[in-house]
Formats: sequence, C-alpha cells, structure tokens
Amino acid sequence: MQPYVLTVSLALMIVVTAAFWWVLRHTAADAQVASSGQVERYRSGLFWGLVVLGIVVAVATLRPWPYDVSSADDSVTVTATGSQWSWEIAPQELPAGRPIVFKVTSSDVNHGFGVYDPDGTMMFQTQAMPGYVNQVRYTFTKPGRYQILCMEYCGLVHHDMI
Amino acid sequence: MVNASYVANRPTATGKEPALLAIKLSMGLGGVVLVLLMVFGLCMRIAQGGLLSMEPTLFYEIMTAHGAGMVGTAALTGAGIMWFFLSRHVQLTGAVYWLTLTLFLLGVALILGAIFVGGFAGAWTFLYPLPAHSGGVWETGAAALFLLGLISVGVGFLLFYLETGRAIIERYGNLSRALAWPLLFSGSQDDVPPPTVVASAAVIIFNGSGIVVGAAVLVISLINLYAPGFAIDPLLAKNMIYFFGHVFINATIYMAVIAVYEIIPEYTGRPWKTSRIFAAAWSAILLMVLAVYPHHLLQDTVMPGWALAIGQIISYAAGLPVIVVTAFSLLVYLTRSGIRWDLASALLVASVFGWSAGVIPAIVDAIITVNRVMHNTLWVPGHFHFYLLLGEMAMVFGFMAWLTRGSIREGLSGASYWGLVAYLVGGVGVSVIFLIGGAMSVPRRWAVHLPQWFIQDQMGAAFALISIVGALVLLVRYLVRVAVTVRA
Repeated sequence: MQPYVLTVSLALMIVVTAAFWWVLRHTAADAQVASSGQVERYRSGLFWGLVVLGIVVAVATLRPWPYDVSSADDSVTVTATGSQWSWEIAPQELPAGRPIVFKVTSSDVNHGFGVYDPDGTMMFQTQAMPGYVNQVRYTFTKPGRYQILCMEYCGLVHHDMI
Repeated sequence: MVNASYVANRPTATGKEPALLAIKLSMGLGGVVLVLLMVFGLCMRIAQGGLLSMEPTLFYEIMTAHGAGMVGTAALTGAGIMWFFLSRHVQLTGAVYWLTLTLFLLGVALILGAIFVGGFAGAWTFLYPLPAHSGGVWETGAAALFLLGLISVGVGFLLFYLETGRAIIERYGNLSRALAWPLLFSGSQDDVPPPTVVASAAVIIFNGSGIVVGAAVLVISLINLYAPGFAIDPLLAKNMIYFFGHVFINATIYMAVIAVYEIIPEYTGRPWKTSRIFAAAWSAILLMVLAVYPHHLLQDTVMPGWALAIGQIISYAAGLPVIVVTAFSLLVYLTRSGIRWDLASALLVASVFGWSAGVIPAIVDAIITVNRVMHNTLWVPGHFHFYLLLGEMAMVFGFMAWLTRGSIREGLSGASYWGLVAYLVGGVGVSVIFLIGGAMSVPRRWAVHLPQWFIQDQMGAAFALISIVGALVLLVRYLVRVAVTVRA
C-alpha cells in the first residue's frame, strides 16, 4: 500500500504545484481579469468537486469498518503486552491464512505495536496503552518471520524495542 | 492591476504599534532559535544516517528540544504577526505582549534546563505517563521542570489571547460579530470586520480552549510526578494532550497567515476583504480545528468508532478552507495583478503553496486504512515539516522581510534570491525525503536506524543543510537591517 500512497500524494502535490506555477506565469499586469462571477463559479466547482471526492473516499475507506474484530470461527487470539523496553507476546507462532485477533496493552507507558513483514514493510499497527486493550484483526497471507517494532516513543531504549 | 503608488507609499511599521520592539525581538529570537533547531534536526538526521556517532540519550534530549522549541518558536512568531496587524484594527495594551514574551522566555529557560541539565527526554508531547517513567534516566525534578516550563509558556499565551479577545470585544461588541456572523448569516454589511480580526477571533476561541485543556493535563501530570496515586485515565490524558497539541500547533499557521492577508494586497493592489465565503471558511475552521484531533488516536481502537470516523472525515474537510478559500483566493489575487516580486512577497506566496501542498500528506495519513501503515513513521514529520518549514516559517520570514524592507522597491536578487531558493529547495527536499522514509516504513523518533534506511537519512541531511544555509541568509538579512534601524 505504501508506494501507492506515496505516488498518489506526490501526484496531488504536483497538481498544487502546477496550479501555483501556472499563476506565477500569468502575474503580468493586464486589465482583462476574470469577472467575480466567473471566479466564484470556478471556486464553487472546485469546492463541490472536492466534496464529492471526499464522500467517495470516506465511503470507500470506512465501509467495511476497518476495526471490525468480530470473531470468525477459526480466528486465533494473540495477547501482546509492551513494557519498557520489550514485548511479551503469546503465542509467538501463528498460522498463515487464518484471521488473527491481536489484543494489545502496556504495563507502563504508551507503546506502538507495529508489525513488519520479512521485507521490512509495515503491515499494520495499533497502540499499546496502559489500562486499555486495543484490538486489531489481521490475516497473514505469507509464512515468514514477522517483527514487532515499537512505533510510539517510550523512552531512551525505544529504538531497541524490536 | 497594481497600484504603484500604493506599494511605494504604504509604510510597513509606523512605530506606533504597541510593543513593536518586542515584536521585532520575537521575530529575531524566533529566527535564531529556528536556525539552531534546524541544526539540531540536521544532527539527528546525520546520526540516523550512520555518519555521526551520537548517544541515544543525547539524541532523545535533542529531539525533545527540537520538538518543544519548534512548537514554541512557531507560536511566538505567529503571535507576533497576529499582534502586529491586529493592533491596526483594535486597541491593544503593549505591556501584555511583553508579559507574554517574558513568560515565554522563562518557560524556555526551564525547558532547556530540564533537558540539558536534568536530562529530560520525554519528547515535547509529554505523553502521560512517560514523564514519570524515565526508566531511571531522568529525575522527577527534571520532568517537573519541563512541565512547569510548558505551563509558563501556556500561561503567557493565555494572557495574550485574553488581551486580544478583550480588545476585539471592546471594538466589535462580541466575538460573533468579530467572526463576521452578521455578514455570514444575514448578509449585513454593517461594520464588517477585516480578515485579520476574523482570523484572530477564531484563533482566540480555539487556541484559548486548547491552552486551558493543555494546562489541565500539564498540572495533573505534574502532581502525578510527586503523588503517583493522583492518576488520570491514560486514554483521557491522551485525548487532552493531543487536543491541546493539535490545536496549539494549528493556531501557529492560522495566526501567521494574517501576514498574507495584510501584506499581499500591498503588492497586488487588490485588498483582501471579508466576504461571506471568507467568513464561512473561518467559522468552519473554528469548528474543525476543535473537532479534528481524534486523527491522532486512530490507532487506539478503544476510542469510540464515531470519534475515529470524525477524525478521518474532518481531517479531509479541514483542508477545504485552505485550498478553496486561502490558496484559491491568493491565486485569483495574483493572476494578472502586476505583482512586484521581492523577498517578502515571494516568501508569502511560497508559504501558501507550502501550506496547501502540506495538507495533502496530512489528509492522506488521516485515512484510517492508510494510518494503519503510516502512523508514527517518517511520513508524519514529512507532513509537518512541509507545514512548518514551507508554510508557517515561510510566512514568518516573509513578514520579517516586509518589516525590514527599504522604502524603495528592492526587487529580488543577490543573496536574498539565493537565500530564498536554498530555503525552499532545502525545505521541499527535507519534507519529501521524510515522506519517502514513511513509505519505506521507517519509524519516527528512533535514535538508531537500520542500515537499509541510511540512504534516505543521508539525503534528508543534505537537504537540511541546504535549507539551513537559506534560513541563515534570511535571518542575517533581518538582523542586520534591524540593527541598522536601531542605530539610526
């Protein structure tokens, strides 16, 4: 997902850059300027275009609800507890192809439970917070050695909390 | 069409602005601290890139100073701009600005002492209960000093907002009129406030609220240091901290953009007026800045689902006023205006570009499914470096250039031109490399990086160096001109 997100973001930023660039090429004084009615029509078009885009993005990304953890019959539950500066996870070996429900908490401060694939790409994350259990469901499709990296600054050994 | 005499004759500072000296001092101080903090940032990127050996203890101390310092600098300089231009429309008491500056400096002294003497390295976000759990690294006193420093800064800004709010109410009767609600809801053209007043009124409401919530969680955290039994629910504390932090940092650019509203018309001859669309945009901003903070908690699934959905949706909606109103209006005002470019006008236009482009990665990151793989990676500093370096601080440097510009049109050439180019190219490079780092899943706030991440760290450091050179040129230009004025 990450390369796609980067590409889309940079493309949109280039569109903004192009709009500024075009205007900067047309700043020489000229009595012929767009009428206020014309300007407001452009503005209105931009506004409603962005509103429609926003609705499409919201519906497409919020349905189904990303944090639905309703248990399937064959799901496996994993508990993970962060503490300065290590993780306690059980069980440590998980089946591929079955939904895993992670129940994540902390015994001291806030930590971030980031799951990385063998290539070093983050698959998903959730926060580990004292007094609360965050739940997230994920299905691993490929067997391999996955690592947990701490994603929330938790003190001086934060970077070693792998 | 540009009105040339308007450009040439319009004074920058009249000398009658209350606390003008304090504002000039704030800008100079802000510039000096900014460059210092950029050097801190450069050191961190070099260390992450494996080119400099730095103890994690020192790295996290520098990181804490970099974060707290940047937020404070952005707030101080933004407040200076708001005060300067608001004083054109309402009667302000200069002593209050001096008091704000004094409390700010006291806070800075406490924070620096906490970090570099006491060893506090809990990050500027002081995420509860981390200040009380140092793992044996910093003492309770250091954490307390840090929190007291933040409280001092916060109290200073609260006084600032109380005074600016008082002055606006004295002039316009109430804040709803200052927000141009009579124009917005009934089309009344009677005593319509200028954009500066509308923006100031909105900032006073949302940042005043943010500071009060921030002060509450700071005091609770402070007491908790010495009385662990006096605890707060960690989720509530997290909500309060991110509400405060989000509102406070957003307020910086919403204050600084006043420089665009006030200065750009001097170059285009087209006044920036309060229209119904402008009033609607600022009322929307007021509500959305207050409501959007749950996008910082998208990885806390114990949060109510509706709050997280609102965090995503309002993050998108909050970009609309920036793009549809501020950026769009600026581009309309610029088109065929005959604008004359100098350092001030170039920086101010660039700042709106930086802001508009910077909201895109922020909006993208607030999509829950994206946030799941981008949150707390380098994507996040990518967004806010765009926002701060190329948005807020470009506005500040633009204001500083305008404040010290000569009476004759100077144009844009020589050191000013190259300083501007270096600042912008370096800033874009720093930000985009952070975004690429985020796409590579590199976690943020890690003192030690894995070798496969080095290349983006080193490229980021190179761009940071370019940006620092540019900032230094802009700063020295300002300081020299202020010194000449003072001597004269």
